[in-house]
Amino acid sequence: MPIPKKSKELDAKTIRVRMYRIGFGDCFLVSFPLSQSKKGDDTHAHVLIDCGVHPSGRIGTMEAVVDNIAEVTDRKLSIVIASHAHADHISGFDTCAAKFAQFDVGEVWLPWTWNLKDKEAAKLQKKHTALAAALSQHLAAAPTSKAKSAIENLTGNAHAVALLNDGLGMSGKAKYLTAGDDLEKTPIPNLSARILGPPRSVEFLGKMDPPASQHYLRLAEGGVTEPPIQPFQKRWLANREAEEMAAIVLKSEEEKELETTLGSSVEDLAFSLDNAKNNESVVALFAFRGQYLLFPGDAQYGNWTWWLDHESPEEILPRVTFFKVSHHGSVNATPKRVVEGMSAGKFAAMVSTQSSPWSSIPRVPLMEALDEKTKQRIVRSDWLEIDGAPKPSPETAPAKPQKLPKGFQQGRLWFDYLIPC
Amino acid sequence: MMCQVPYENLRPGPAGKYLAVIDYDTSNKVYYWPVDLDHPAILLGSGLDPSESDPQFHQQMVYAIASQTIDRFEQALGRKIRWSFNRWSSRDEADGVLRIYPHAMQEANAYYSRELRALVFGYFPASEMDPGDNLPGQTVFTCLSHDIIAHETTHALVDSQRDFFTEPTSADAPAFHEAFADLVALFQHFSFKEALLEMIKRTGGKIYRSSVEAEAAQSPDGPAISAELTTDNPMVGLAKQFGDAMGMRKALRSALGTPPNSRDLDHVTEPHVRGSILVAAVFDAFFSAYVRRTSDLMRIARSARLALDTADDLHPDLANRLAGIAAATAEHFLNICIRALDYCPPVDILFGDFLRAMITADSDLIPDDEHGYRAALIEAFRRRGIVPEWVTSYSEESLLWNSPEQDGLDSVPLCTGLQFEAFQSGTRKDRREQMQKNAVLLHEFATRHADALRLSSSEKIHARTFHEVHRVGPDGQLTFNVVAEFMQQREIPRFPHLRHGPKFTFRGGTTVILGPDGGLRYAVRKPVAADSESAVKRLARQREYHDYLEANLSFAPYVEDIQTGSQGMNFNMVHRGY
Repeated sequence: MPIPKKSKELDAKTIRVRMYRIGFGDCFLVSFPLSQSKKGDDTHAHVLIDCGVHPSGRIGTMEAVVDNIAEVTDRKLSIVIASHAHADHISGFDTCAAKFAQFDVGEVWLPWTWNLKDKEAAKLQKKHTALAAALSQHLAAAPTSKAKSAIENLTGNAHAVALLNDGLGMSGKAKYLTAGDDLEKTPIPNLSARILGPPRSVEFLGKMDPPASQHYLRLAEGGVTEPPIQPFQKRWLANREAEEMAAIVLKSEEEKELETTLGSSVEDLAFSLDNAKNNESVVALFAFRGQYLLFPGDAQYGNWTWWLDHESPEEILPRVTFFKVSHHGSVNATPKRVVEGMSAGKFAAMVSTQSSPWSSIPRVPLMEALDEKTKQRIVRSDWLEIDGAPKPSPETAPAKPQKLPKGFQQGRLWFDYLIPC
Repeated sequence: MMCQVPYENLRPGPAGKYLAVIDYDTSNKVYYWPVDLDHPAILLGSGLDPSESDPQFHQQMVYAIASQTIDRFEQALGRKIRWSFNRWSSRDEADGVLRIYPHAMQEANAYYSRELRALVFGYFPASEMDPGDNLPGQTVFTCLSHDIIAHETTHALVDSQRDFFTEPTSADAPAFHEAFADLVALFQHFSFKEALLEMIKRTGGKIYRSSVEAEAAQSPDGPAISAELTTDNPMVGLAKQFGDAMGMRKALRSALGTPPNSRDLDHVTEPHVRGSILVAAVFDAFFSAYVRRTSDLMRIARSARLALDTADDLHPDLANRLAGIAAATAEHFLNICIRALDYCPPVDILFGDFLRAMITADSDLIPDDEHGYRAALIEAFRRRGIVPEWVTSYSEESLLWNSPEQDGLDSVPLCTGLQFEAFQSGTRKDRREQMQKNAVLLHEFATRHADALRLSSSEKIHARTFHEVHRVGPDGQLTFNVVAEFMQQREIPRFPHLRHGPKFTFRGGTTVILGPDGGLRYAVRKPVAADSESAVKRLARQREYHDYLEANLSFAPYVEDIQTGSQGMNFNMVHRGY
């Protein structure tokens, strides 16, 4: 697929969605045309949605991506959205903090769960942070595993979170969002947004609370491993060698099996916490001159179900003209109802993904379903060839086409989707 | 409270025929000294006295409650049970015991694990912020909760009878396991005479109320002393200490659940919550039957102008009679539930199937529904929107499993020559031989009558379990039946449009009830044949449930093929939802 010499220029009648190939992560820049721009003024206003890469999914493009954002936007971002506190969505705000400090930022949109003035949110964050620290410590010495990769994504984000909470510089202002918020006015004229997640229901909060075993909670406080409770006085401790213990003491492999089986909760917990973080995602539905753009962050099932049950998905979904595929195309991040609810051939989709660190992502049946539903108007970030970056695995879908679908164009580090409006 | 347990010779642990308590603590990597219940000093005192700080009392408690639960099952089923992991094993019986680890790990959890052949119980510090009746940070032992022990033991017992019920075939299957375990734990509350009598007195006989009136009338400006507080009714609450310790301020679950409605079933999927709908249905029926059975006593009492509204005034004789009826009714209902297991399909249990199994099992034994138990069950299930499949009405006749005549068979399929004497008196070798002979006979029978039993002739038929069932009805008449399970399976693409994508095992089969002459009485079936309407419906439901499970498993995005179909339910994970 040759790179066109010159990309189509932006005009006053085009929305451009730019998906960067950033590694395993998300970075989307959406540019909305301004209607009454005079010569020399900006023609477009920009929204940056996430900028991060997973520590085990880096491909070395982050700096170049941020430079491109600076160039394209003239360092003016009307809105920055940080969907949730995972490295693969926000690490760039930390590693490129110096670059971002030079930006003029309007509003920073964050999930309500980051608002430390909110009691419920503060409680949740305290618990999540402690758990993540404990799990990270526990897995530090362990070999690389699926669970370990999930935990890597959770830790080391404190600086990025603090910067974003602070509005990303002098001018920006943090705005905390909850499902149900209806933002009729935004810093961009004619742009409105409906917030569909994260919800605030008790049921949702219950799911956000990973069932931590006491062992890990205890381990968490202060990050120091405390010895387990000793439930009984010393005199009850049996001597394994004693005669009456002969029939009771397990074989050493049985003891080991028991310990591993009962201890498997580390992995469960790592995944539960990962899941809870993804479900904190800000889900934004943008409306601009009759176009509807749905950005669900990494929302997984628990986040989606709230608005599918409480809002009116039968009105929203058929109107969607652009869909950012949630959670890099993983299995439980795009409910069947959502794919079925959108109008066949009426929308285009982008998925920022790659097969490393998890080869199960993106999920083939989901990709196939979206390919069919969009009438092949779906583009994956890992179709862009970058030295040293993982290529899509051969059996994955959809395969890279000879020619990009209509409305898409390719750049050095990005794919653009142009929406006439 | 005294707990009576069938006598057997015990080794230190305690370890007996079915159970072996092994007090290994994986968090501390230590063993605690085992109790020797046959030690004269302990025998003389009828066991150790209750003490939280004595692990040997814990060992005794967990052993006693688990044994009592097993005994209830054996009495109701009329036969000895064999753990599912031991069913086909040729090992010694000592190897076939269920292990109990009363202090397995430091975690607010307890569960049955088929892989570990064990019940594991955790211990944990109570919530610092909101410990309920516990002290903040006090160590709470799950192995000291009657309800938790009975619940986990019941998981193992249900698994011993129907090991494919752990297959995640629909939202009903895991919920059924949880509901059944809760039902057994709750009905056992009514066998504790002192506690029951106390509650009868305090509720004025209305033991179905979810809260209990204060012992003293409240002062006008609110309660000042403990006796003025209304409390939750312990008869209908499960595992109160555990719930309190987790900061829930109430029992873990309640027998009464939410007011009946026919909508919850459509959207509630979490196994415990969904299970509580089934529990509430059975308890609705139980309490309605209790009210009906005691209405004459209440009328007599009223006509004698005994005030029934204030607790203090319930006449002790009346309280005794009410307690007697409550205990007997609870025992009947528990028997109905346990016996119904024999009449359940071998796999893919739905709540509606369980209703049909209860109705059929009970009417087989007690043709005349004198106390209105079956009518009460039907009404309670109907009110909760539990609709059995392929049934035209909620009448008792249409809820009975189909007889061969109803299925339009010209003649009743016969299976003759089955022998069971060896299981009573024979040697192990005799039993093994007899078992093999029976298996051959049953397999021939099933192959010959595959159509009538709705078994697919293109798939292999496995005769999985079979046993004879003797029961004595209330009128002293002995009934004799043979119950056998036949299983079949097909490998099916997980996604209908991906022929070469991941596959899962689609199981089905038929539970067969034969009369004393070997004639087919009922065939309770879950077909697998591709041309069966029922199989098509089941398959769609199963795929849909797998979608749901995948969507809800937090690890799902990161693993290649989630074999939700072939890998059974993990009680450890289910219970993490408390």
